[in-house]
Amino acid sequence: MSYSTFNRKHFDSMKEPMFFGENVNVARYDQQKHPIFEKLIEKQLSFFWRPEEVDLSTDRKDFQRLEEHEQHIFLSNLKYQTLLDSVQGRSPNVALLPIVSLPELETWIETWSFSETIHSRSYTHIIRNIVNDPTKIFDDIVTNEEITKRADSVSIYYDRLIEMVNLYNTMGMGTFNVPGKGDIEISMPKLKKALYLTIASVNVLEAIRFYVSFACSFAFAERTLMEGNAKIIKLIARDEALHLTGTQHMLNLMASGKDDPEMAEIAAECQNEVRQIFIEAAEQEKEWATYLFKDGSMIGLNAQILGQYVEYITNVRMQAVGLETCFATKHNPIPWINAWLVSDNVQVAPQEAEISSYLVGQTDNNLDDSDFDDFDL
Amino acid sequence: MTLISKSTNPTKNDKVHRVLLGKKQILVTEDEPLLIQLERAGIHVEYQCREGYCSSCSIKLLWGHVSYPFEPLAWVQSGYLLACCAIVKSDIEIAFFD
Repeated sequence: MSYSTFNRKHFDSMKEPMFFGENVNVARYDQQKHPIFEKLIEKQLSFFWRPEEVDLSTDRKDFQRLEEHEQHIFLSNLKYQTLLDSVQGRSPNVALLPIVSLPELETWIETWSFSETIHSRSYTHIIRNIVNDPTKIFDDIVTNEEITKRADSVSIYYDRLIEMVNLYNTMGMGTFNVPGKGDIEISMPKLKKALYLTIASVNVLEAIRFYVSFACSFAFAERTLMEGNAKIIKLIARDEALHLTGTQHMLNLMASGKDDPEMAEIAAECQNEVRQIFIEAAEQEKEWATYLFKDGSMIGLNAQILGQYVEYITNVRMQAVGLETCFATKHNPIPWINAWLVSDNVQVAPQEAEISSYLVGQTDNNLDDSDFDDFDL
Repeated sequence: MTLISKSTNPTKNDKVHRVLLGKKQILVTEDEPLLIQLERAGIHVEYQCREGYCSSCSIKLLWGHVSYPFEPLAWVQSGYLLACCAIVKSDIEIAFFD
């Protein structure tokens, strides 16, 4: 019931489910129920980067030379990315930490959320560099109707789960009347369902919504415009691919029943709803594409192509979590995006620019004379 | 200058397997992951990380056997393979979308 920051009970954390078991007490990683989350943490830490490492001085000149409708596309896309990471920088912590029961998963959630805050800081870095008054852009995120529509759909599941967990922590199980919202039933199956749908909607956010925005950022860079921005987005895309794997693991572990048998039943029950979350998000993203290109398209990208990409990426992501695909587009209409998304060339020669994948202490201390046998001088 | 000689590799595996993809047939070896060899054969495969954590290159494995030199971070669904790090170990048949 009520959350404790240090649970005094003795229990075997190896037998706890991922969520809704005991509150975590000792943050220990010597034994792990799901070691994958520790591996994700290590990978995420090896990705550490700072927005200030990327030089954006030419982006400012590029931006001033863009046509007005192109500036609209660039700024709207940036506003959308800012919104998505504002949500992701806090929500996994606020929604999931009070209910998580495994130390390695708890730390993954914090690591994941932290990396999103770096993304948020990089949008400020970008905006500061291209416009004189960032306030105008940030203010528009909460007033622009097209953006707020997006905000509603990305936060609704989080907000519902947070509300239910708050009730659960203060009142326990039962049906409670919340002024302005009516009766809310709190039971374990209802809580687990709210959790499952939240993770599914986060998966959609990271797997579809983000990628639509990446496509726009890289479309500028394909024309050798706003390349500093593309460099930052590339680093963000690398992080997001990892976060996406994290949520896919959570969803698949839940659905498999290996973690919590009751969760498997709920996952099966929710399958249609999850499908709908994917389809609705795809439709919303297509609407967004129409808004982006309302005053004109740009070379290489227009509302129709971006719409096809939405359909394509939705199919790919649905398949990844074991759902039937639902759109006709089976081929990537913008195959050039892969060259921008690929992370193995994120690491550049140190004399050229910033180093993005820096590992400390990576020398091999276990050397023997024979290791030099195949050296020719 | 120090050079590392790479000319002879005694562990090199000469086994060749067939990969069926629709009506196409590609010959692959066990020396490299499937993705690189498919690309060399002119087949476009989605990719992002190319090191097993993003699952972009997940492809249906209809039959046959592949192995992974290291366990990928991404979730590999049963009946699928991760092309960027899978080593083909027998003749296989793969498919993209239904």
